[in-house]
Amino acid sequence: MMKVYFKRVVMWVVLATLLTGCGMVPPLVGKTVTVSIFYGSEKEEWLEPLVEAYNNQKHKTEEGSTIVVEVTPMGSIESANAIIAQEIQPTVWSPASSVYIPVANAGWRRQHAEDLVVGTPEDLVLSPVVIAMWQPMAEALGWPDKSLGWADIAQLATSEEGWAAFGYPEWGTFKFGHTHPNHSNSGIVSVIAETYAGVGKQRGLTLQDLNDPDLKAFVADVESSIIHYGRSTGFFAERMFERGPSYLSAAVLYENLIVAQESKRLAGESFQLPVVAIYPKEGTFWSNHPYAILNAPWVTDEQRVAAEDFLAFLLDKPQQLKALEYGFRPADPAIPLSAPLDMAHGVDPSQPQTVLEVPSADAIAGIEQLWREVKKPVDLVVVMDVSGSMRGDKIASARNSLIQFINVLDDRDRLQIVLFSDDLIELTPMSALGEKRDDITRRVSGIVEGGDTRLYDAVQMAYEEIDANGDPQHIRAIVVLSDGEDTASNQTLGQLVPRISAQSESGTATKIFTIAFGDRADRDVLRQIAEPTGGKQYDSDPRTIQDVYAEIATFF
Amino acid sequence: MPASPRLNKFLFVVYSLVTIGVFVGALVSPSVRAVAYAPLRDLLLPPPKPIVVSVLYSTEKAAWITEAVARFEASRPSIDGRPVQLELKKMGSREMYLSVLDGDEQPDLISPASMLQISLLQDLSQSKFGTPVVNPADSEVCQPVLKTPLVLVAWKDRADVLWGDDPNGRMWRRLHDALTNPSGWGAYDHPEWGYIKFGHTNPLKSNSGFQTVLLMTYNYFGKTRGLTGADILSDADYQRWLIEFEGTISKFGDSTGTYMEEIIAYGPSLYDFVAVYEATAIEQAENAVGRYGELQVYYPPATHMSDHPFCVLEAEWVAPEEARGAQMFVDFLTDREMQELALLEYGFRPVDTGIPLDQSGSPLQRYAANGLRIDLPPEVEVPPGNVLSTLLDFWARNVQP
Repeated sequence: MMKVYFKRVVMWVVLATLLTGCGMVPPLVGKTVTVSIFYGSEKEEWLEPLVEAYNNQKHKTEEGSTIVVEVTPMGSIESANAIIAQEIQPTVWSPASSVYIPVANAGWRRQHAEDLVVGTPEDLVLSPVVIAMWQPMAEALGWPDKSLGWADIAQLATSEEGWAAFGYPEWGTFKFGHTHPNHSNSGIVSVIAETYAGVGKQRGLTLQDLNDPDLKAFVADVESSIIHYGRSTGFFAERMFERGPSYLSAAVLYENLIVAQESKRLAGESFQLPVVAIYPKEGTFWSNHPYAILNAPWVTDEQRVAAEDFLAFLLDKPQQLKALEYGFRPADPAIPLSAPLDMAHGVDPSQPQTVLEVPSADAIAGIEQLWREVKKPVDLVVVMDVSGSMRGDKIASARNSLIQFINVLDDRDRLQIVLFSDDLIELTPMSALGEKRDDITRRVSGIVEGGDTRLYDAVQMAYEEIDANGDPQHIRAIVVLSDGEDTASNQTLGQLVPRISAQSESGTATKIFTIAFGDRADRDVLRQIAEPTGGKQYDSDPRTIQDVYAEIATFF
Repeated sequence: MPASPRLNKFLFVVYSLVTIGVFVGALVSPSVRAVAYAPLRDLLLPPPKPIVVSVLYSTEKAAWITEAVARFEASRPSIDGRPVQLELKKMGSREMYLSVLDGDEQPDLISPASMLQISLLQDLSQSKFGTPVVNPADSEVCQPVLKTPLVLVAWKDRADVLWGDDPNGRMWRRLHDALTNPSGWGAYDHPEWGYIKFGHTNPLKSNSGFQTVLLMTYNYFGKTRGLTGADILSDADYQRWLIEFEGTISKFGDSTGTYMEEIIAYGPSLYDFVAVYEATAIEQAENAVGRYGELQVYYPPATHMSDHPFCVLEAEWVAPEEARGAQMFVDFLTDREMQELALLEYGFRPVDTGIPLDQSGSPLQRYAANGLRIDLPPEVEVPPGNVLSTLLDFWARNVQP
């Protein structure tokens, strides 16, 4: 009996070995190949569900590996810089447009023999860069009968009368916005377009053009109407559509964001005024979402093939039709431009009539430099909690990240630093950073902790200070870092909030950004301080504080 | 009267001997194989060695080739009992002749987009190997299979402003003058259209770009034949004219199809005019309807055909039976059925002149309102390979971004 049992076992083992050897039993854990994609965040709503659907279909390569796509949204310029610095190593880079590809290639070639992006990558979806404006304001400017352009925006931005010149004094000054040119595609193309308008060209921009002093004055004038910059176009649109016309009169966005907002409004999910797309008459740029499989040493042949497979999926008709629903123009020419791409959704699919020529990499670098020199300066108060609970790695990382934050500010920016515990101590008064940069770095390095937390009083003091001494022509902001509840102020939150939010509906009002540092910080209180001013509350700890500061810096 | 047992036996022996003889014969020569009793043949005999014909072909005709190959294979082609198999590879026309020259590819049959590349390969292989690998003069081994002329596709309202219904002989010169005018469309009372935008592919990489530059050049010299290297190298006015013309183009892409797709997807904002093949324009004609406006096809004053030659290589790696297999495939492609398919489904002009271009279903007739026409302007002569090389070198040195 035992013998028979033994024989059976031997037989099964031999059979199992044979079968496995023949490859008839699939391994329990299959091989996978990962395609990582960093992409411009504007297409997030379209792309993310498609990634999920694609991964669920378990596509395989010829080698039998299952393809896994992982996507991360990031500002187009920011991701380009991170790839060149090799801080991120994606298989595919899909920025919002091709405009920055030559610049990225030039940066990459400083350390490599070949281009990072070779050839012309396929477009995923299209959307023109437009000026989004509230419909009544656009009508006041003559829209839709009169074609408007970058020059009109510049003129409005530089006029002291603002909307009063058009018979609408109640709308106040013209408040304009575009994203940060060092982070986001729509930011850099806005500044390129301003530059073209300034020199009166539509193509053939040269480095010599950029030396024209009149151009500098022109760009400075336009930038003076900017309420603040921002990291991503999507976030900027959200701001505008949430807060309404008193916050922003117009902003440089993509057409698809207007379609999305109008779809919401028509569905009764938004109660703002209608918003329309102005297609600049001098020409604009396209956001064409190129899909660039990188020519980088970390991309394997199998990843390349897998990335091609995902590209084919995205260009397939059902996925392209989905893009239309989100307000994009499909890259597939076989799909007609139909609803919601229509006037009812604030856009005109027969536009734009012309583009501006994409300048050379050198010219774009020159424009970035020009912008740095003339951009709207910031008046900033940093309010930092140095109470006893900040001891240990908290105070150390708060100090270091503050120094890095100061480093990204320009010499023309004005900075004040207030420390609070039992007392309120002014580490440095509101003055231009250029003359005191080294001194401040030294002083910040020497900050020590101890005592109670007078949060409300500190915020109140900073607000009054910037109100009295800040320049209304500058971007004005307060950054508050706190790790605990208020324990010693002379006033309550209820008294503070009305004071700091008196002008909050205006885009040019002082914004307060609050950082809840560590678990014990009172997030709710900090949110109540930040949000009414148009600022934002962030959660942070010693590991992430640097990223939070970096994010806040994109507003300036 | 039934046959006697003896006769039966005799017949059986004869039958058996013949059968065995056929099988032995089939072993020696595959052409006897077909006679052998099929079920027994497949059981007893080793399968005949196929004749594998390797083919490189240019991308523009991929859709038609794919369909044609499926039909060719379904016809179970064989030579002397050996099945003919095709091994196809699609590539750009320039890449194709360079890969043959470099020895990266050893095809039996090549089909670039036009005779221009065959002419270049003939010249370059003569210099490199001492003897050319292709002979375009011998129509037995090198023959055009499909034709499509180079055309300009433009937004009608804009072309109307520039040259009305008919660009006539001055098309390239008018385009040059318009493109180089700093006021752009403003000089034609349409400042809202911005600067004037023309696109063609990179002549170093793509056939249509090469044809465009060749046509511009012939037109500048006011002739349609006899272009020489001296024309290109010693006429400073021509050189300035071409460099100015090309200087208005900021990007030279690789694929002709992409230009046609882009003018439709991006509308007039990106291109006012693009140089593409007639067949490419036809392929996308339906997509252009109801988008940005009316797209129109314009024929240059003299044109050049992409004639899609299929040439059997004269090289040591081409075995005689492979050359026969290649020829068999070419004969299939030039058959009426395949030629009609090319016209009706893919917008190419057949080389078979017996096929009427104005028959019902012909896209040349269907899209006549978009400027497509049956009669073509005169064709320019293909200059010798060394003149073509001179033109490309000049472009590479002075224009290439």
